Amino acid sequence: MIFQKLIQRFWDLAGAVSIRTKILGIVLGLVVLFGVVVTIQARYALTATMTAQLEEQSASISRDLAARSTDPILLNDLLRLHDLLDETLANNPNVRYAFLVDSRGQVIANTFQGGFPLDLLSLNPVQPNEHHHTVLIQTDEGLVWDTAVPILDGKIGTARIGLSDASVRAAVSTLTVQFLITIALVSAAGILVAVFLTWILTRPILSLANATQAVAKGDFSPRVKRWANDEIGDLADAFNIMTEELARTDELRREREALRRQLLEKVITTQEDERRRIARELHDSTSQNLTSLIVGLRIMETHCAQCAAKAKASDLRQVASHTLDEVHDLSMRLRPRVLDDLGLAAALERLVSEWQARYKIPVDVVIQLSERLPGEIETAIYRIVQEALTNIARHAQAHSASILVERRGDIVRVIVEDNGIGFNINTNQEERHLGLLGMRERAELLNGTLTVESAPEHGTSIFIEIPLNPSLPMREGPGRRAEPVEAVREKPHDSPCACPPR
Amino acid sequence: MKKIILLFIAIILVSCSSSPRTEVAGNVDLDNLQPLPTPEGYEAVPLRVAIAAVISPKGTLESYSPFLKYLETKLNRPVELIQRRTYLEINDLIERGEVDVAFVCTSAYVQGHDTFGMELLVAPQVNGETTYNSMLIVPADSTAQSMADLRGKVFAFTDPISLSGRVYPTYVVQQLGFTPEEFFARTFFTYSHDEAIRAVASRVADGAAVDSLVFEFALARDPSLKDKVRVIHTSPDFGIPPVVVSPFTRPQVKAELESLLLNMVDDPAAQEALSAVEIDRFVLIDDSAYDGVRALVSDIPIPETP
Repeated sequence: MIFQKLIQRFWDLAGAVSIRTKILGIVLGLVVLFGVVVTIQARYALTATMTAQLEEQSASISRDLAARSTDPILLNDLLRLHDLLDETLANNPNVRYAFLVDSRGQVIANTFQGGFPLDLLSLNPVQPNEHHHTVLIQTDEGLVWDTAVPILDGKIGTARIGLSDASVRAAVSTLTVQFLITIALVSAAGILVAVFLTWILTRPILSLANATQAVAKGDFSPRVKRWANDEIGDLADAFNIMTEELARTDELRREREALRRQLLEKVITTQEDERRRIARELHDSTSQNLTSLIVGLRIMETHCAQCAAKAKASDLRQVASHTLDEVHDLSMRLRPRVLDDLGLAAALERLVSEWQARYKIPVDVVIQLSERLPGEIETAIYRIVQEALTNIARHAQAHSASILVERRGDIVRVIVEDNGIGFNINTNQEERHLGLLGMRERAELLNGTLTVESAPEHGTSIFIEIPLNPSLPMREGPGRRAEPVEAVREKPHDSPCACPPR
Repeated sequence: MKKIILLFIAIILVSCSSSPRTEVAGNVDLDNLQPLPTPEGYEAVPLRVAIAAVISPKGTLESYSPFLKYLETKLNRPVELIQRRTYLEINDLIERGEVDVAFVCTSAYVQGHDTFGMELLVAPQVNGETTYNSMLIVPADSTAQSMADLRGKVFAFTDPISLSGRVYPTYVVQQLGFTPEEFFARTFFTYSHDEAIRAVASRVADGAAVDSLVFEFALARDPSLKDKVRVIHTSPDFGIPPVVVSPFTRPQVKAELESLLLNMVDDPAAQEALSAVEIDRFVLIDDSAYDGVRALVSDIPIPETP
């Protein structure tokens, strides 16, 4: 469990750092690990070897001292004994002290000046038959290997030598410092190697990443250089092939899209033209004919004395009059003449007043246009508002609605809002979806945008923005279209439009 | 990452403090120096026995240990062995009463007796004799047949006042009409007879004169010496090196020692002590036994200091 956590922690760490850090970690980790292990091993080996040597040296020096001090002790030659001890001290830098004890335990001669550390006497007892006896003593100056050698089988005394381990410590410290310096130098070299390796490894990867970002933004021009003949080189080749393929596909898609738009435009234009022609036909010809018919029937009615014929003529005139109204209505719905003759504002006001009259839902209309808009824009906005009102009437169950049309600089903005039941934008309702799609197509044909904000029980808002100069793209690009915002607008406070209060 | 770095630092620090393999026997502050305690005195006053360096100090200790042990047991008091490098130093100790009893060389006795009244106690009897000789030895493969053949060679003396080791060979050289300094290329002192034998055996010296008792003792202990050294001349008999007492030794002690030494031959417990020093027994001896030596010594100047 802990092991798994450790592994997880390792992956978290390893995954969070860059390739440069990973390679640096590998190189430095190996160098430092190797260096530390070798240092520890070398220190251990050196300490062991030198300590063994020191112990051996301690035994041999004290054996030598014991042998050489035999006769001077027997002859009571104290001066010679002192000379011997001084020589021993002078010739062996490791020797910290030397002294001779007689058979009664009295110190005969020693190398300490002006006294003697009495604790030392009892620390290394040696049996008369022993070759030598070595113990380790902790002193204020570090560890000391103390060797006692019985002189003449202990009959005349004992020779004692103390060898300081200072030389061992110094040698081990020097070795450690040298090793650590070596580790530092190798680590520095390792960092250079790691930086170089990282550069070699990440250069193609970074250029791939840059190219990918460019492709994501729709720029298919960048090609990745094949830096090395390895897996990353293969990846670069594959990437280049893919980019070319994408570029070709994109080109094809663009052509089709343009074609589709042209087609749509043509369909819509043709439809409008046809509607306009039919409306005009209905108005100019059919209406005139019907009016003539009504006038004729009225005259016939006046001049006819026979009651049956008179009543028939009156009925026919009423049918003709009703048909004339229907023709007017049809003509109006097909293509309101007022849109062509008086402009968008008058057309919308008339549309809304007829819609209110039919559905009994109050609508606030605010139209702020100082002059007439281009014909295709007027038509598009008219049709979009028409469709929106149809949707409200069919689905929204709204109690009120508002329409804002305003011009801001080179942009015409339209907002249609209702306080109806709203809907979930993400759920696909075939009929409404198609309606919305048609509205959006109209806006986009003019390089405009259409955004729907709605949520169940919170009404629906439709925002349309259409540039007056069609060559200029909208500030808010296709992104807004791509992600419809599901939000509730606190109407009218934070509404971007100047909607009249309800 | 920090934890890993800390781990590395910990490893390095641990490895920096090298741990000793052996257990520490104790703690000592080497700078805490105190005055050495005064040696405790012996429970009883020890009998101080001086033995002249006829053989090396180490050889003397080994040979005389059973003898000294015997004395300690019999006298029921500690015995302290005192050795000095030269015969003269021993004579000085005897003269000042710093030793009670001493084994001295024949010429040292003659000089001590005549200058400050060194007293004869007993004499050892070896192989039934109370005499000994000086033996002139050379390396076994040397062509020398007499002292005359050693002219211009290196000669080892034992002690400046040794009868067999210096006085007699000097006398022989004088008989040839030279002083030793003229006769030999170089001379040196070994201060003991066994060292002089070793000097010849190892060819450091081309010749040496040694005590016949020591030579036989050495031969008995190391038979291979026979292949290394050769005797080319033996002196006339001289009185054997005696056991003496200081003029300051109390008469009771002297009498007790005399009786003890004379009776050793009859004591089974003393046999090991006697055989270790190759002595048959101790006998009384008269000063006149050393008159021959006295005449020889008077002709040869004895240096005051070696």
